[in-house]
Amino acid sequence: MSDAPQTDAPQAIRAEHIIKTFGSVQALAGVSMQVRRGETLGILGDNGAGKSTLIKILTGYHQPTEGQLFVDGTPVRLGSVDEARSHGIECVYQDLALVNGLSIYHNMFLNRELLWGGPLRLLDHREMRRRAAAALAEIGVNIPSVELEVGALSGGQRQAIAVARAVYSNARILLLDEPLAAMGAREAGLIIDLIDRLKSRGDIAIVMIAHNYAQTLEICDRIMLMQHGEVTFESPAASTSAAELLDIVRREYRAARAG
Amino acid sequence: MPDRGSPATAGVRWLHGLLLRPEASVVVVSAALIVYFELVNVNFLTDANLETLSQFVAAPVIIACGEIMLLICREIDLSVGQTFALAPFVMGYAQAIGLPAVVAILLAVVVSGLIGLIIGMITIGLSVPSFITTLGMLFLINGATLTISRGFPANMPDGPILTGIMGAWSYAEIVWAVAIVAVMHIVLRHTRWGLHTIAIGGNLVAAAESGIAINRVKIGNFVLTSTLGGFAGLMEAFRVGSADPLAGGSNIMFLGVASGVIGGTAIAGGAGTIIGGLVGGILLGVLQDGFTLQGINAFTFNIIIGAAILIAMIANIHLARWRRGGP
Repeated sequence: MSDAPQTDAPQAIRAEHIIKTFGSVQALAGVSMQVRRGETLGILGDNGAGKSTLIKILTGYHQPTEGQLFVDGTPVRLGSVDEARSHGIECVYQDLALVNGLSIYHNMFLNRELLWGGPLRLLDHREMRRRAAAALAEIGVNIPSVELEVGALSGGQRQAIAVARAVYSNARILLLDEPLAAMGAREAGLIIDLIDRLKSRGDIAIVMIAHNYAQTLEICDRIMLMQHGEVTFESPAASTSAAELLDIVRREYRAARAG
Repeated sequence: MPDRGSPATAGVRWLHGLLLRPEASVVVVSAALIVYFELVNVNFLTDANLETLSQFVAAPVIIACGEIMLLICREIDLSVGQTFALAPFVMGYAQAIGLPAVVAILLAVVVSGLIGLIIGMITIGLSVPSFITTLGMLFLINGATLTISRGFPANMPDGPILTGIMGAWSYAEIVWAVAIVAVMHIVLRHTRWGLHTIAIGGNLVAAAESGIAINRVKIGNFVLTSTLGGFAGLMEAFRVGSADPLAGGSNIMFLGVASGVIGGTAIAGGAGTIIGGLVGGILLGVLQDGFTLQGINAFTFNIIIGAAILIAMIANIHLARWRRGGP
């Protein structure tokens, strides 16, 4: 799999001139972005740059004050998280939304549990175990048993379970909120490998919020810098460098201070 | 390992697996107590005493089934003992206006459930902690019962079959209790409702992000607890043959909560088992009954029961850590 963005691949999600205000605060001041199938977009920026607001608009958690979203080229209104899900948009939040006291397979099927047929609507534990194990194996996550409690797993494994859950639920547009935050090199490696394998499937568009320039450049096909609710820089990952990105951010910072 | 399949190692593994279960320590303690009481008192394992024991255990265990569900999703019902006392009077009132006994019983159960619905609506809808909501309801329901009854006990209806089923037959209560335990165990372990109850108590944010109907589950568990409390109160009244405005109360509520907690339900939510509640209820019953047979007076008994709860809790917390492989 090359790092070059697939410019001929069909467009998965597009946002046009998104403005979002909370009362008198403008969180997004006209952001446009798009991701193609099989492409990975990394969004970098300081706290308060609007990254999280943008992600929450893409997941249907917030609705834009102005602007238009398109999924597969069709204009959509994402009024709720469920509506976004029905378009194949899944988000792995920073808190991962895992329940420590429950097993891996229960977490993977949380609120989408499989049931035995019949009027009693009992849980089909066996089928959930089987499918959870298969789903993890398919994306190459090695975990001894899906019956382990999630609380017993490492940070990287937990992240992997959360990503696997999103992928398993037929995500075609996967949003990752700081997937590498607070993770050691080995743990981060696990997730980077996982994202690489998802990319190589070629059908999933990934949008990832991150802080670490070097890691983001390594993982993503394209980079977007955000500041004060605007996109200030955009480039294929292959034609920029951590040094250049850092330089841009530093210049923005100085300009903001001078202004 | 050549002897992997031999019966001896299989037995050891089975025993090991059993000991890893949260209820195991309580089962061991209960069994040890039963042996002890049988050794020091020849009357312990007799038909008459087992009957007494089963009657003492039944109501707290039924209440525990509800409280465990509430504790797991980080709520509690302090007023279930008052609903317990109210239900027989609702039934009596319904009979007095001419409704048949079966309808009167159903009406009492429904009214109990409505109390749970009110508790749930106030707790969820008005964001009042359930500890406070049910503290208020405790006095409110108690006052209602005293008003309806004017403070006097009332007779229960006659009719051998109905009263027998409802609690007058010696073992009716424990049969109901075991049946309710079986159903609630399946609800907790094998339905979405149970799984969502655990998820809500384990990680509220995760439950919300997964789209679980948090309010519906919580309110449902309040309704469930009150319904079970009212039903247990009816049973008790049928057994005794009269409705007592001072029956149940905080005592039976605490016995129910203690049964659950001794049986391994986490007071902080997210974990618990119904079977543990049954075993915890049996442990409390064995303690009370055994020491009563030994002639220990009521004052000393409370010291013993308090110490038992503390020891069981300390043991549970540390055994749980040991099971997780931590320090």
